[in-house]
Amino acid sequence: MSTPVVVHTKDRLSGVVQLVGRRPNDIERRWWESALVFAFFTIGYTWFGYWVVVDMHVVGFETLDRLNRALMVWHNDPAKLSAIGFDYPPLATLLIAPLAIFRGLVTSLAVVPLASAIFAAFTMVAFNTMMRRALIAGPLRYAVLLALGANPMVLLYATTGTRHFVWIALVVTALGGLFAWYITADVRFVMLSGIAFSIASIAGYTSLTFFVLSAIMIGAILARLGADGTEVEGTVVGFASPTVYVIALWTVFNFILLLRPFAWITRSSDAAASGGLETFSAVELLRATGQLVLYGAPIAIIVLPALVFAGVARGNPFALWLGVMLGASIVMPSAAVVLRLTDSPMLMRNALPILLISMIGAIWLARSADEGSTLVAALLVVALVISIPWTIQAMKTYRYQNLEAPFAAAITTGESQEGAETLAREKVGIFSEQAMAEYISNNVSRDNSILTDNAQTYAVMMLTGHPEWFFDRIDQSDGPWKIALRDPAAHGVLYLLMSTSDNGDLVTKLYADAAAGSDAQLQVVFRTPRYVLVSVPAGYKPGGVTTGQFGES
Amino acid sequence: MTTTQTGQTGTETRRQPRLTDGVDQDLRHLIPEGICRTFRVMPYASAGGTVLVAAADADDAITAHVVAERIDRPVQLVRHTVNEIVGAIDSVYPPQETEVESPEARRSRMQMAQMLTRSGLITDEQLQRAMLEYSRTGDPLGDILVSHEAITEDVLVAALSEMYQMQRVGLTDFTPDLEVARRLPEPLAHAFQAIPVAATDDLVLLAVARPLDAEQSAEVEEALGSPFRQLLANRTDLDQLIQRVHARHYAEVSTRLLMETRPEESAHVVISGGQKAGLVITAIFVVVCAVIWPMPTAIAVVGACSLLYLVVSFYKFRLTLRALGTHLETDVTDEEIAAIDERRLPIYTILVPLYKEAGIVPRLVRDINALDYPRTRLDVKLLCEEDDEETVQKIRDMQLPPHFHLVVVPDSQPKTKPKACNYGLQLATGSFCVIFDAEDRPDPDQLKKAVIAFSRVASNVVCVQAKLNHFNQDQNMLTAWFANEYSMHFELVLPAMGAAESPIPLGGTSNHFVTDKLRELGAWDPFNVTEDADLGIRLHREGYRTAMIDSTTLEEANSQVPNWIRQRSRWNKGYIQTWLVHMRNPFQLLAQTGLKGFLSFNLTMGSAFVLLLNPIFWALTTLYVFTQAGFIEQLFPGMIFYAASALLFVGNFVFVYLNVAGSLHRGEFGLTRTALLSPFYWGLMSWAAWKGFIQLFTNPFYWEKTEHGLDEGHS
Repeated sequence: MSTPVVVHTKDRLSGVVQLVGRRPNDIERRWWESALVFAFFTIGYTWFGYWVVVDMHVVGFETLDRLNRALMVWHNDPAKLSAIGFDYPPLATLLIAPLAIFRGLVTSLAVVPLASAIFAAFTMVAFNTMMRRALIAGPLRYAVLLALGANPMVLLYATTGTRHFVWIALVVTALGGLFAWYITADVRFVMLSGIAFSIASIAGYTSLTFFVLSAIMIGAILARLGADGTEVEGTVVGFASPTVYVIALWTVFNFILLLRPFAWITRSSDAAASGGLETFSAVELLRATGQLVLYGAPIAIIVLPALVFAGVARGNPFALWLGVMLGASIVMPSAAVVLRLTDSPMLMRNALPILLISMIGAIWLARSADEGSTLVAALLVVALVISIPWTIQAMKTYRYQNLEAPFAAAITTGESQEGAETLAREKVGIFSEQAMAEYISNNVSRDNSILTDNAQTYAVMMLTGHPEWFFDRIDQSDGPWKIALRDPAAHGVLYLLMSTSDNGDLVTKLYADAAAGSDAQLQVVFRTPRYVLVSVPAGYKPGGVTTGQFGES
Repeated sequence: MTTTQTGQTGTETRRQPRLTDGVDQDLRHLIPEGICRTFRVMPYASAGGTVLVAAADADDAITAHVVAERIDRPVQLVRHTVNEIVGAIDSVYPPQETEVESPEARRSRMQMAQMLTRSGLITDEQLQRAMLEYSRTGDPLGDILVSHEAITEDVLVAALSEMYQMQRVGLTDFTPDLEVARRLPEPLAHAFQAIPVAATDDLVLLAVARPLDAEQSAEVEEALGSPFRQLLANRTDLDQLIQRVHARHYAEVSTRLLMETRPEESAHVVISGGQKAGLVITAIFVVVCAVIWPMPTAIAVVGACSLLYLVVSFYKFRLTLRALGTHLETDVTDEEIAAIDERRLPIYTILVPLYKEAGIVPRLVRDINALDYPRTRLDVKLLCEEDDEETVQKIRDMQLPPHFHLVVVPDSQPKTKPKACNYGLQLATGSFCVIFDAEDRPDPDQLKKAVIAFSRVASNVVCVQAKLNHFNQDQNMLTAWFANEYSMHFELVLPAMGAAESPIPLGGTSNHFVTDKLRELGAWDPFNVTEDADLGIRLHREGYRTAMIDSTTLEEANSQVPNWIRQRSRWNKGYIQTWLVHMRNPFQLLAQTGLKGFLSFNLTMGSAFVLLLNPIFWALTTLYVFTQAGFIEQLFPGMIFYAASALLFVGNFVFVYLNVAGSLHRGEFGLTRTALLSPFYWGLMSWAAWKGFIQLFTNPFYWEKTEHGLDEGHS
């Protein structure tokens, strides 16, 4: 009686260090808790954000630009997916595009806070799940979430529609996936993390740094656990392939459309930059980095050494890796300056990822503290609460910033910031845009009748809710638009909408007299402090030639 | 007092505890009940580190060996009376009336063992193994010995004939008188394994596999209408005779049952009249529109195709995410398998269709014998076509034990695998049945897992699908891609569909059925070339469900492109065939499956159409990249462009990643690299899809046979 040998699945998997094909002992799924956290923060931030944006007039123009692009995706004539452009990572605009399906929501500005609140709430859900895996008790978890949620930096970026929480939410989710993977050894979490990183990578290119560090960490941890080369390679490939694929495809797409494969990096800029790139000495950079951490994310000062200690002295590789991630997030702003990858150096918003990665580090430290986890979580709550007034104060004075000071002023005084100036000497508020948009809405209704440089007048376009009225650089791309710019009447244009400030508006450059109100043929029909609308007579030819070809004006 | 110490020391005499002093609580379960009862032993005390085991025959070397193997301490057999030991066993393992061997049965078993050992036909080792299996299963010792090829069936028949004082009959070259042979109706002949071989006016000579009991005898006598005398026959020969006698009936049923009882569910008509009319009207409408409004019509067609593409992609992604998020298979642990009471295991039928696969038969037999399931409870049907003389002869030459049944399917059209399976199903004796292909290598515990799963799932689950994958995945790029695809399909997509109670297109093999329900459903459609997928949908329509188990059957992946194309073209043709069959009356389908099931069915089958669309979209994209042709831009206005863009970016990503995720989920880390190149595999899939699509019109029932055994020793 012979017994033939058949290789059993169990035998095949006997040398695999990860858990594959089955569900490990993990926390119980609580979709309702996640839904409640999500709903609470979405509603809370949207409600608060509506007050900040609509009543206090603290709103970033970058947000309005993206919303205008989202509006064009649905309502332009013709509807244009290419409106998302290359200035922002594509998903930074695409992910909020659904919010622009209904024009009314956009023109009322109600979607502005929602555009960031959703992603901030998603981040809170990821933190809550992480804390559940770290076995932090419910009341403490909620206290941590509230303390973090009330942090003024978090509040500003969660409520004013900015794009930063879009990629941050995805990176935190991805890191949460690796957090779960390290605890459970379940390979599925690596895949989920990989997918989250792939989306994050085209929602914010900064996430690529965290992605690369994570890929290295996965390989290193597996090797340390004794996985063979095939398992290490396969896992890293499985983790990295979505991001590599997405970036490769985006590069090819850039090549096809622009003949510049890396335009997605070179053309990407911060639309609301505070000014040109200054020159920093090493000492200045070091000091600026220290100030950034001290004012924007003070808990990192405690968490970083604690992570390094836990990683090195107590043989906790995940803590060490989180320490590396936190260190990278601290170093990145100054690295961007050194590599001249930004024209907005050392902005205070760079503290946001530092703060949130510090949070992940603190949660991991709580988990690693075993019996002391409650104490660590309680200390985290205290630290977060103490940092609230500290950060508000810093926001008012920190040198490199966007809307931090007006925001801090708004929440401390309760007064509208319309007309106030940022520390970079930019005007706050949208009265000018609202007034122009209102005039256009009341007086214009023909498609493609207002020629404008949408790169400068997006806020007006957005507030009208009718991008199809405008003959912009998106409609038929730059080439045809520039031809029409030189002979607007021949292209059915009735008005020119220009920005009055010297900020690179191509229409203003060509029709400077008209913008100044001194062109006899191009009469100003409406003017606000920042915009001017002039009429284009039929048959108008730049240079004062009016032909009868299209009828007398 | 006589004692025998096994293994460690010799015999000694001194005062020791007796069974009557009581059984030590810590030792009472050291030996399983079956072994205690079979060998009449009971561990009861410990003395100086030695376990004392009461034994009726303390000098029996086999008993000593079996006991020593199960106790990891020194053991000493202590002679006790049978009554003492049985009493102790009954107190430790309270007897279930039906499971305890009767004194007569025990006498017969001992008589059989003595007969065979004294005549030198079996060795002690063979007897020991057989006794152990007997202790687990309670099956006849002779049958166990035959199933393990320790003795032949002829030897067993001779022994039984001696024991029961019955005459034997040789049927090897017997030519039956069909009129006589058919006097016993087929159901009885099949159920009792009996057939009349001769008759006089007042007596029928009935060949039987085993002596009939009184109840069976009465039933047979009533059916025959006259007294009969039983003659013991070789089970294999008897089985062949029954098949020959009733071949015409079996062939008729296997071809026509579904077609005649449920014509609306049979694919013998490819497109129904209503469908033809619908397709013609649609075609005319599209052509007319194309003439009057060429560009809008083209846009509408492109839009519809893009939408189909998008929803199919989204659906698969959603399924995969769900499967990644949780464990959806019916779980059976190793402990549960170890704890299974083999005496309660049902007869399990294994259907193995074979065609021109003589070379693979020895391996097949080896792998089936390696299953962790008592061979005496296996009913393996090796289904061969009549014209495949080489395979038939090969099986005959191997003189397989009687749990293997050679089934020769008479040559008739359609000559398809489902027809062969239908034929075999009629001969099946198992409560459950499963299909394995000739080259399949199921996980050894798969049958036990399926039995446990069936006992655990809802009562409407009549099918349990095991996972499929490949053993030669490393052979070349094609086999690696194939393994990627199977990993995705069976590790992620099907478990998610099963958990969602969606209609599951069953895999070609390793689907385990409740046999009666399968018969009730009309079994497989012999005219459908993906009869498995069709059956999955059909059972869902009847209110039954399919569950997945976490057990894998390894198959041979096609390693040569032409062979792969043939196989895949058949699958695609079958998918479209299945879609056409079930969409003959969409409203009825909707009513039977519900909206969720209806959508799931259409989206699943829609993947066959997506494969047809692929080359068209690829061509358009390539053309546009190189020429920026304006007419292509016009074909994709607004929302259609968004859908197409989403497909380009998201759809491609989704399908590549599903392959990666499936392989990772399965722990096949070496395959993730090849998964990244799967777009090349899609090209082959589309090629095969078009071949199958064209064949649907030119040769709808043709079965593109897959050649096996191309794995070049990678097995």
